[in-house]
Amino acid sequence: MIAADGLTRSFAGRVVVDDVSFTVGAGEVVGFLGPNGAGKTTTLRMLLGLLRPSSGRAQVTRPVGHLPESYRGYDALSVEDQLRFWCRAHDLDPGDAIPPALAAVGLEDLARRPLRRLSKGQHQRVGLAQAVLGGPPSLVLDEPTIGLDPTQLVDARRLIRDAADRGTAVLLSTHLLAEAAAVCDRIVVIVGGRVVAEEVPGSSQELEDRFLRLVGEGGRS
Amino acid sequence: MIRAIAGKDLRTLWTSPLPYVVGAVFQAALGLLMVDQLAARDQAVVQPLFPLAGFLLLLVVPIVTMRTFAEESRSGTLDQLLAVPLRVGGLVLAKWLAAWLTVLVLTAPAAVFVALTSLWGDPDRGPVIAGFLGLAVLAALATAIGVLASTCTESQPIAAMAALFASIVGWFAHVGDPAVGDAGLLAALSLSERLRLFAGGAVDTGDLTFFVAGTAAALVLAASVVELRRLR
Repeated sequence: MIAADGLTRSFAGRVVVDDVSFTVGAGEVVGFLGPNGAGKTTTLRMLLGLLRPSSGRAQVTRPVGHLPESYRGYDALSVEDQLRFWCRAHDLDPGDAIPPALAAVGLEDLARRPLRRLSKGQHQRVGLAQAVLGGPPSLVLDEPTIGLDPTQLVDARRLIRDAADRGTAVLLSTHLLAEAAAVCDRIVVIVGGRVVAEEVPGSSQELEDRFLRLVGEGGRS
Repeated sequence: MIRAIAGKDLRTLWTSPLPYVVGAVFQAALGLLMVDQLAARDQAVVQPLFPLAGFLLLLVVPIVTMRTFAEESRSGTLDQLLAVPLRVGGLVLAKWLAAWLTVLVLTAPAAVFVALTSLWGDPDRGPVIAGFLGLAVLAALATAIGVLASTCTESQPIAAMAALFASIVGWFAHVGDPAVGDAGLLAALSLSERLRLFAGGAVDTGDLTFFVAGTAAALVLAASVVELRRLR
């Protein structure tokens, strides 16, 4: 479970996240949408324990798989060694955890290649594999499909859906409304640090219309 | 976890050209300075090795330590590490351990000078062992200072310069102390004065405590800086 309960955060007296509350249950994919500067990343950092809330509470069932917005691994390590390191960090058996994670992102053939020799899309897939290592009960993904080609995009959506079907609570922050419409059970829209909508996504076109309206209204308020 | 992070750091360091280049430059500079010292003294003695190696170490260590936290912070991997429920103290200790081991490996070939000196003379074993122990604890403290500097910035050059500045100030702390030789405060803090006693063959628990306590204090400070960054 991932839960934000009245999360608020100020920087130098300026409130950037204001009383944000939502819950992501087991087996659910919730899209976290908002324009740039809306407070998405700050909220995610509070949920992950990387930033102390000014008030409110974050509750996340651990271990939590995390893919940051600009994923960077250790360039000198091979894909396999990178995943082996994170297995040790999470106290997982690499023999059990690595093969399914590599298979899920289609990187079995590149397991021994150093990260510095991977393309941007391949790099992003390593980040996804790292996030789903060991099937964590919670997943926080920040723009997970950046740099992926259309085939890889479909595979990534399937990976996210499969994780949820296995009981993982998935919080997906994205700018791609089509992606949110395709994979999310619910969406939470944040504008100006406040949650302005929490609803089912509907079709891609419907979501786009509603999102633009919400962002417009939020921006004026 | 400490083993995993230290192993990862060692692997990352040693698959880059950095330790090989730094090690080669360190040994070449040490060799030239030692030959100069031996020629000037016209004696096969090892004592000049330790202050020379100690001072050169202070120049080398910041290059090894500058990336420990600054690079992880800049690339965002530090956030990934901190998202894992691990103890920040363990993280700092692991990174210091990897850097210290690297510095020790870079220093080890200095033993060649002892072997060479033994061909023409008969150096006492005690001062040699004490001298290398002194270099090891000096490296431990300098590495801890370097790790601390690296926690304070995302810029590797700034981390290196800050660590270098702090170490050099420590090395020359006794200069200008009116009470040099009479246990003045600045002389007591001087890294070179402490190392000089080791090189003389005297392993004093006070000197050992100074280096160990200094190392521990720098690491505790480094852990506090990382913790503050996590929960700022």
